Amino acid sequence: MGSVKRKSPEEPSPTSTSTAPPLHDCVHHVSYPDGYVHPSSPPPNQAHSEPAKKFPFTLDPFQSQAITCLENAESVMVSAHTSAGKTVVALYAIAMSLRNGQRVIYTSPIKALSNQKYREFKEEFSDVGLMTGDVTIDPNASCLVMTTEIWRSMQYKGSEITREVAWIVFDEVHYMRDRERGVVWEESIVLSPKNSRFVFLSATVPNAKEFADWVAKVHQQPCHVVYTDYRPTPLQHYIFPSGGDGLFLVVDERGKFREDSFQKALNALVPANEGDKRKENGKRQKGLVLGRVGEESDIFKMVKMIVQRQYDPVILFSFSKRECELLAMQMAKMDLNGDIEKDNIEQIFSSAMDMLSDDDKKLPQVSNMLPLLKRGIGVHHSGLLPILKEVIEILFQEGLIKCLFATETFSIGLNMPAKTVVFTNVRKFDGDKFRWISSGEYIQMSGRAGRRGIDERGVCILMVDEKMEPSTAKNMVKGAADSLNSAFHLTYNMILNQMRCEDGDPENLLRNSFFQFQADRAIPDLEKQIKALEEERESIVIEEENSLKDYFDLLEQHKSLNQEVRDIVLSPRHCLPFLQPGRLVSIECPSSDDDLPPIFIEDQLTWGLVINFDRVKSASKDDASVKPEDASYNVDVLTRCVVRKDKIGKKSIKIVPLKEIGEPLVVSVPLTRINTISSLRLYIPKDLLPLEARENTLKKVLETLSRFGEKGLPLLDPEEDMKIQSSSYKKASRRIEALEGLFEKHEIAKSPLIKQKLKVLQRKLELTSKIKSVKKTLRSSSALAFKDELKARKRVLRRLGYATSDNVVELKGKVACEISSADELTLTELMFNGVLKDIKVEEMVSLLSCFVWQEKIHDGAKPREELDLLFMQLQDTARRVGQLQLECKVQIDVESFVKSFRPDIMEAVYAWAKGSKFYEIMEITQVFEGSLIRAIRRLEEVLQQLIEAAKSIGETQLEAKFGEAVSKIKRDIVFAASLYL
Amino acid sequence: MEKEIRGIQLPLSQTQKVRLKKALELLQSLSLKVNVDASVVVADTITVDHEDGVLKGHGTADLNGEVVATICGVVERVNKLVYVRALRSRYKPEVGDIVIGRVVEVAQKRWRLEINYCQDAVLMLSSMNMPDGVQRRRTAVDELNMRCIFEENDVVCAEVRGFQHDGLHLQARSRKYGKLTRGQLLTVSPYLVKRQKQHFHHLEEFGIDLILGCNGFIWVGEHIEATDDMVEDQVNQSDPQVLLPGKNSVSLEEQEKSYTTLETRKYICRAANAIRVLSTLGFNITLEIIKGIIDLSLSMNLDIHDMLGSEFCVLVAEKEAERRSSNKKKR
Repeated sequence: MGSVKRKSPEEPSPTSTSTAPPLHDCVHHVSYPDGYVHPSSPPPNQAHSEPAKKFPFTLDPFQSQAITCLENAESVMVSAHTSAGKTVVALYAIAMSLRNGQRVIYTSPIKALSNQKYREFKEEFSDVGLMTGDVTIDPNASCLVMTTEIWRSMQYKGSEITREVAWIVFDEVHYMRDRERGVVWEESIVLSPKNSRFVFLSATVPNAKEFADWVAKVHQQPCHVVYTDYRPTPLQHYIFPSGGDGLFLVVDERGKFREDSFQKALNALVPANEGDKRKENGKRQKGLVLGRVGEESDIFKMVKMIVQRQYDPVILFSFSKRECELLAMQMAKMDLNGDIEKDNIEQIFSSAMDMLSDDDKKLPQVSNMLPLLKRGIGVHHSGLLPILKEVIEILFQEGLIKCLFATETFSIGLNMPAKTVVFTNVRKFDGDKFRWISSGEYIQMSGRAGRRGIDERGVCILMVDEKMEPSTAKNMVKGAADSLNSAFHLTYNMILNQMRCEDGDPENLLRNSFFQFQADRAIPDLEKQIKALEEERESIVIEEENSLKDYFDLLEQHKSLNQEVRDIVLSPRHCLPFLQPGRLVSIECPSSDDDLPPIFIEDQLTWGLVINFDRVKSASKDDASVKPEDASYNVDVLTRCVVRKDKIGKKSIKIVPLKEIGEPLVVSVPLTRINTISSLRLYIPKDLLPLEARENTLKKVLETLSRFGEKGLPLLDPEEDMKIQSSSYKKASRRIEALEGLFEKHEIAKSPLIKQKLKVLQRKLELTSKIKSVKKTLRSSSALAFKDELKARKRVLRRLGYATSDNVVELKGKVACEISSADELTLTELMFNGVLKDIKVEEMVSLLSCFVWQEKIHDGAKPREELDLLFMQLQDTARRVGQLQLECKVQIDVESFVKSFRPDIMEAVYAWAKGSKFYEIMEITQVFEGSLIRAIRRLEEVLQQLIEAAKSIGETQLEAKFGEAVSKIKRDIVFAASLYL
Repeated sequence: MEKEIRGIQLPLSQTQKVRLKKALELLQSLSLKVNVDASVVVADTITVDHEDGVLKGHGTADLNGEVVATICGVVERVNKLVYVRALRSRYKPEVGDIVIGRVVEVAQKRWRLEINYCQDAVLMLSSMNMPDGVQRRRTAVDELNMRCIFEENDVVCAEVRGFQHDGLHLQARSRKYGKLTRGQLLTVSPYLVKRQKQHFHHLEEFGIDLILGCNGFIWVGEHIEATDDMVEDQVNQSDPQVLLPGKNSVSLEEQEKSYTTLETRKYICRAANAIRVLSTLGFNITLEIIKGIIDLSLSMNLDIHDMLGSEFCVLVAEKEAERRSSNKKKR
């Protein structure tokens, strides 16, 4: 049935039937590897005229399209929204493999998701197994659900599954762009057996075709792309301005952006908020969380409104675990459930909690949750106990939770839609700053809105608490999905595992990586760019170029020397005493239209009067510790400015020369923009508020300027007035004098059009340097990406004795091969240095916890002395390893590498290994329950790997010790089985 | 003395004796002398610094607080790890090693292979790529047809996968592993084969393949292009073992179809004899040295059987001494 499509691979074949709405379209491409010959015989599975699985509903076009590809035994990449129903394709692939007696693997990025999928498939097919780091169930089943990491290590170990698997399903393959873990997907895909076929399920990505091209190239097989933008339930996007009390429709279900409505929404932002919001930018959420005193908070109003309008169930996304909980606490007064529902919830909850011990049932998180849940309000984030998380998911699916406060993690995976999705914030903290939510993230999260077959349309509400540009908003709400870009990077474990195989070669992996594939694609583009730039450069012809160039160089030198002097003179230490009110200073005007830096500074100077100066508050908290000399300062200067207002009323202020038209204004400029300080001070009137007073003052400045005429204002003499005696100042000023002498003598200086000529030359030089930089990128992309880094990393392995210069893996390397859940080098070094040998089991477990804990905790308590001592040993080892990497030219920041090992949960894990109850260890530390449980589970994974490692070096005592450690930590609530199993 | 240690047993004339002794002395002087004191016999105490954690690896045990050797060999240290490397012993497998073995039993879903280890290795049916190249689960029919893939006494090349609960497991990752036909299997002491990046070699000028198994089993055979066409291999399946004696299922027809040329056979023998010489002398066996010996024998126009004579043996020893000393000078 698909043979027609196969003959026209290049053109997209719209498959919408005449009855379907236009949104129903899907795009279908096929990527063939170079030189691919179509098999002459029809696919062998023609015998099966019956579909492997029938669905009780009509398939969407994209689904049947994808299934056709599966029936033809060809790989397919399905790119569609979360709610569109990609799982159907996966289900069909599994059914088909089972029918054909083949194995099928289903990988997902998250353990919790694997559990859920296992449950789902088990109900459907029964011959299903599960393998995650935590649990293994029936590894001999025909359909195996696992995490991508497990699949990767299985392929390195050469598990027999690799020879039996016909289909591999990669769910949520867009995880490949994850900075840390994305590389695992690339490794797994490249390493996968050549004869197997793939199903990739992904969120909408614009470059799905590129991805398919890559798979086709690496595996020498055709790969189909089925892409659709289709949403089964259309979305409406609203904006809720903070402090206001209404919703504004900004995008209707046809996808039209309503500018006017957006503008109204912004105007409805309570203006009083604006002032204090700007000041405490960092604590913006406060208003949202606390609300005005004596008034209902925004979030409360919002939920109330949603319930009134029957927009529930609703998911409210926020970007931090704490905020999530705080918001939920605000709902204290609200009750969304009837008595029958309450009983149901209580029953489900208590039967789920039955598997916990009595002590664990008393955990505050458990006991506090039930009352909240009974009212129909839930919280879902990674800090929850896994079991609670699962109960909440189940309750939500049952429709017993009407209002769920969740973090971003809730937006991926199992089908758990709501009618409404609310974004409590439009900004998200991404590690170093708050930024707008990207359109891709918005798409992913808004995908939860609208239940198929229940709701006519889904509702998305954006809570906006500050002015945003319409373009930003439009981009967020209507923008394209994020591209799927490679996040490939090298790890030592990867290199060693590759080196260990007879036909493995890390370079081969690099060559086949998606990263390399994408880099290769950019080459023709870059070449074109270089050509254009070169043509432009050739077109610029200058007379007497050499001597002009000479002169230009002198000017540049002069400029940089002047800058040097200026920096000395205007360092806060020297100039602060002179910045009294009324002091005349010269300021650089921002260059108007030219992107080139000005050649003559004099062109760009204007004068102004100092009014005041103050210190800039730096972002870091240790503000007080910064010495006054080192802090940066802002100076308030009265000068002439042009004020422009753009369309949405955002002001922009620009300083212009005094004689031009503009308002006299006091502006705050950073100290670095002040050029020189004059020795003159003028009188400033006490009240500068009236425009007249300011105008008059500026007039006086102009008068003063004209009085001094050509010579310019007398400046403060650095040596006599400011008492600067540093030798670097003297040296620089002497050199300036010498240079100025040279200017005089230079023949070209007298040439009439010198300034214009210099401009042209500058442009030409600019082009040359641009060409150079583009050529550099070209070189680095045509060469094997990461080649240098691979070399450097191999050097590290040699230096540490993990491998020989002939790339033969040595004993230590074999140990490091086994460790994939922690920093392999540091841990191996620690082990070979005997640190783990002499300490008690509990201490060892506690020490190893530093390898698995990644969350940052501020002012976490220091562990007790003996643990701290161990931690210091770890830090020493890490520093040595880091230092050695640096010496081998691996790009690494040694200190941040050392700091990546965190002692925050050492005490808690120590106590846990000692046999404490979970509520006891929760009292020791302030971390979230869920985070701690995850860390301990990962710790167990590391211990299992260490057992293998100890076995391979024949150290039986150590092996036994690791085994003992596993038995000590593997108990109770931390390893409580998932409810899905 | 050196001669005895190496256990070389050759009928040597007086001059040959002197020459060999000289060459061996030169070689000994060139070798690194770090490990001279480190050789231990069973129950020898190994001196360690007990101050900080010592890791006791293979071949060691704890006896009354002292680390003692449990095998004869050389003490090796990696950071705090102490272990004893046995000098002449059976093969000790490590994950990822390339080994060659002989099928001793076809059992349920698995073949048992003799690989010169203290126990037989296991090659599971599922650890082999299926002859038809299809990725699927193994069925009962596949199990019944296992003898079509390997039967008893076949020589098989595989990779060490690791220790499972029921012993040492092997696997065949790709096409180049599998049954070896039309060639010779040589067995040498495992210590003569050093682990390297490449153990499969194709000597193009002679048209032969050379596989240096880490377990001391070395294969020299006619070159076979590793093809993706799996079906063809099945035809070759029951091919005559031209040079391996003890193979009885030879049909004339098949013999004609695929005939190893005399020239190639000669080269196979020449390479095999080169390895035998090295084994006799107790020299490390690497591609480079084997090639050197073949070239030497060719340049001397030596008959194949003469390569095993005393004169050639002494000559090889001299050449090797020369080569190593010149290598050392270069450094």
